[in-house]
Amino acid sequence: ENESMSDSLSDDCVSQEEDVMTPAELISKLEEAWLNEKFSPELLENRSEVVECVMEQLTHMESNLQRVKKGDAKASVHRMEIDRIRFVLSSYLRSRLQKIEKFFPHVLEKEKSRAEGQPSLLSPEEFAFAKEYYANTETYLKAVALKRMPPNLQAVDLLKAVPEPCLDSFVFLQVKERQENIFVEPETDDQREYVVDLEEGSQHLMRYRTIAPLVYSGAVQLI
Amino acid sequence: MTSLSTPRCFWLVRFAARETAMDPSEVEFLAEKQLVKIIPNFSLDKIYLIGGDLGPFNPGLPVEVPVWLALNLKQRQKCRIIPPDWMDVEKLEEMRELERKEDAFTPVPSPHYMELTKLLLNHASDNIPKADEIRTLVKDIWDTRIAKLRLSADSFISQQEAHAQLDNLTLMEINTVREFLLDSLNCMYKLRSNLQPGSRKGQLTDY
Repeated sequence: ENESMSDSLSDDCVSQEEDVMTPAELISKLEEAWLNEKFSPELLENRSEVVECVMEQLTHMESNLQRVKKGDAKASVHRMEIDRIRFVLSSYLRSRLQKIEKFFPHVLEKEKSRAEGQPSLLSPEEFAFAKEYYANTETYLKAVALKRMPPNLQAVDLLKAVPEPCLDSFVFLQVKERQENIFVEPETDDQREYVVDLEEGSQHLMRYRTIAPLVYSGAVQLI
Repeated sequence: MTSLSTPRCFWLVRFAARETAMDPSEVEFLAEKQLVKIIPNFSLDKIYLIGGDLGPFNPGLPVEVPVWLALNLKQRQKCRIIPPDWMDVEKLEEMRELERKEDAFTPVPSPHYMELTKLLLNHASDNIPKADEIRTLVKDIWDTRIAKLRLSADSFISQQEAHAQLDNLTLMEINTVREFLLDSLNCMYKLRSNLQPGSRKGQLTDY
């Protein structure tokens, strides 16, 4: 009965990708998203499709395991694998929540100004969380301080009060698809701007702003 | 730092456990996905894991499994671990010499050589010939590389470089300098931008 567990993903999970992804490829996608999210200074686009497919795999495997007798040697190996995948999944989702808490006004602003058809930054659950976090922060600030201030000082603009993500941060990255003529901004006035080629497999330290589009497209992996 | 930037509602900035940094144990976690050969003392059919198929397992027949499973089986005395090819005194001695001779980082035999050495030597040292010598050699190689890394980080900062290529560095090595180096670079950037009057570039976050 174990054999049918992970042969291929359900239709829901493959329809969004052009090629059929194996469960192993799905797990690599999750790990890539996890590292990118950990190391990028800003909140990245949500990968709900990956999260949902991984969840489906885990639920499916867990329900299969319930039918297996206690002390089954294979089952214990499956459980260890499930725990490892769950760890990555939770860490990924937690790091997103932390960024939402840190940058909530900007995250919501970006989501508001998103053009129709453009993919959403937040999953529906994250969007609800961000809105609630915004409302709670506002209510809290009013209750503890603002209502005791003179009337002309009672308003607070959270967009100005909460720092924006610093896109000029340096990041480490590994190149997955060769890139030519990546622009490197000078650090000081007496330096000149220049371009570099990023060879496949090479690793670099540079500013996030320059290579952010390559992170979105998957051409580089943050490490 | 607060005096350098515009006043902000700093009471909104909270310190949380940094999920957006990487702990060495998480690098080790990634290393545990590497494959290693074991010789099982039990038999078991193929296991169809989400991440790929394993086995079948037959007593005495070598089979490749991820390190996390190899260590678990070893702890339950269900297998013997075959150390990776590079975990060999002669090969490591050559690598150590090369690493000391070259200014650049030499290619490493495994992207997780340090973690694997630590994991295998801590949990399966009885399966690894000359375990103590291997521990010392890998530590020597690591120390040489980290010294080079410190030197290049130092020159990166003092030359005010905007880009560096870091081939052959492993994730664990990057991780040892990550926070200190990146935070320093951000601080320097903030200081420099604030020197230029009217520059909006300096309006950086205040952690």
